[in-house]
Amino acid sequence: MFSRNKNQHSSVSIDMMEKQTRYEALVKAFHADLFRYAMWLIKDKVIAEDVVQETFLRAWKSLDSLKDEAAAKSWLITILRRENARRFERKQFDLVDIDDVAVADPHIFGDVALEHRELRRIMSNLSEEYREPLMMQILMGFSGDEIAEQLNLNKNTVMTRLFRARNQIKEALLGEHPKGEQVNG
Amino acid sequence: MDELIFRRTIYAEPNTTDPDIIQAAKDDPAKQAFWVEVKAMDAQLAQAMNIPVPENFADKLILRQGMDEFSQKRQKRPWYIALAASIAMVVGISYMTLFAGNNGLANDVYAHANHEYMKKEIAMSGQHVSQYAINQKMATFNGVLSGEIGEVLSANYCYLGTTKSLHMIIKGKTGFVNLFVVEDNNSKELKEDFSTDVLVGTSFLLQSAKIIIVGDDREQVSRLQKVAQSAFRF
Repeated sequence: MFSRNKNQHSSVSIDMMEKQTRYEALVKAFHADLFRYAMWLIKDKVIAEDVVQETFLRAWKSLDSLKDEAAAKSWLITILRRENARRFERKQFDLVDIDDVAVADPHIFGDVALEHRELRRIMSNLSEEYREPLMMQILMGFSGDEIAEQLNLNKNTVMTRLFRARNQIKEALLGEHPKGEQVNG
Repeated sequence: MDELIFRRTIYAEPNTTDPDIIQAAKDDPAKQAFWVEVKAMDAQLAQAMNIPVPENFADKLILRQGMDEFSQKRQKRPWYIALAASIAMVVGISYMTLFAGNNGLANDVYAHANHEYMKKEIAMSGQHVSQYAINQKMATFNGVLSGEIGEVLSANYCYLGTTKSLHMIIKGKTGFVNLFVVEDNNSKELKEDFSTDVLVGTSFLLQSAKIIIVGDDREQVSRLQKVAQSAFRF
């Protein structure tokens, strides 16, 4: 009886070690992308760190449900977005404010070269519906279809938002006002 | 291809592999130039998005999970061990109350200033905690840190028994010094000076909050006390 227990115990340990290795590989591969994504989504370093921590903790708990390692990035972003949404469930009154909080100081994203500072300011002022698909495309390398699935939108809407996001950035860089017919449609 | 469709497609997906778009760019140098320009802007955007990641963040994530696992495992112990632990705890607490006097908060403070505990906290926190991060947490106590108190290695909420505190571990000349912020009305019983064989502590009132400083070196504790008196406001 004791030996059987021992065997079971050691196979559990091996499973645990495999899980641990898999988890560590995930953390190493994606923690930077996830932190950056959270920063652009939340614009607060302390909260962004907390949300990424919660995300990985959830990931650890349900690691068995990740069957295909190639889908890991989308899987983690799905968890992260859900964790971020939970923040608002806990603190509902904040929900109204999030898009109104303009980030005046681009230094919260760290010290950067001058031209990046301007771009960061412009990006953080984009509304979330434009900023998020753009982050998914540029930062995470998601395709239009993947973004559509994450945001639960159809692909055409995603493409329109991506177009508008870049258009707004371009205009902000040029310091111009929207040029009616060129941006519509 | 229509200029507008071309531009829209490129703006939505600068790395498109749509053969019609590629052909249109080949046929028209102006379109090709526009595409190059958008790709350059995207490269700039990618660089601008590439913000620095906190130091040791990956290690911290791996460690955090390890601690979660550890506490879950502890919960999975058989019932009789839990029962034995409970009995031991009741005996321990009764002993403390009967023979050690009512020294509640100070004992909790000592527990958090324990070397093993501090090591764990510091490992979790990574390295240096910024003043900004501290002030995010100080907001709970309606306080602000505006001066230098030395290198803060960790700043976390800790419960001293049932009293919520902000526990900071500060690098001292030798070893570490602990600073706790608690609400005054939860800490009235705590004496101004208290000590054990290894630790010395001092507590003082600063406007609406109480600050507790504990360490193994009396001189460092009193130095931090002086600094803290002017560095914090409530």
